[in-house]
Amino acid sequence: VDTAIRNTIRRLRFDHGEMTQQELADKIGVTRQTVNAIELGKYSPSLEVAFRIATVFRVPLDRVFQYDGVRTASEKKKV
Amino acid sequence: MTNQRSPLSFREKSAWISLISLVVIFGAYFSYIGMVLAGLARNRFALFLVMVAVFIIAEVALHLVIATQSPRDARTPKDEREQLIELKATRTAFYVLLVSAFGSIGTVHLRLSDPDDHLWLMMQAILFSIVFAEAVKFARQIVLSRRDA
Repeated sequence: VDTAIRNTIRRLRFDHGEMTQQELADKIGVTRQTVNAIELGKYSPSLEVAFRIATVFRVPLDRVFQYDGVRTASEKKKV
Repeated sequence: MTNQRSPLSFREKSAWISLISLVVIFGAYFSYIGMVLAGLARNRFALFLVMVAVFIIAEVALHLVIATQSPRDARTPKDEREQLIELKATRTAFYVLLVSAFGSIGTVHLRLSDPDDHLWLMMQAILFSIVFAEAVKFARQIVLSRRDA
């Protein structure tokens, strides 16, 4: 079973004066590598970090993260 | 906007330093132990102490170098992803240590001329288990950091 959480962080960074990953990382208290991993969907952050990101961009949490539901391995292969 | 594959972070550099130091320094030590077992060299306990000292000096010196290059990263505490990577790597290393420590017990069944050699050999095997497990931990940290970066 694989979860599918998408995010719009890259878009939001762009809309906020082309904020760099390092600037966002500094604001939410993680490393730049972690911001990169979250953006690429390779790491799902804790709820607290997710809220911190939403707070930085002054948007609701669901504007930052979208959940596509749970996909099984066989369903993933079909995609 | 930057969104490319990340260059090495401070933690990754740290893991690389520890892995290479372990492999090079203790690799040399266990090569010497192999020569002792083959009867080509004499056992010297002092060598172990020297290797530990060299390892500590190498670790401190090399970490100082990378901390000087990126002082802010060095001061920053590990974030949740880095802690998770460390936990996963430590779990893998624990299983490696468990299996290799049990394997060390098997050295009592080896035929050695001097019974005291059994104790010495088991100590070396346990030391190897610890070093090997640590090396696996650092290697796993590097792999997990790269995969998620």
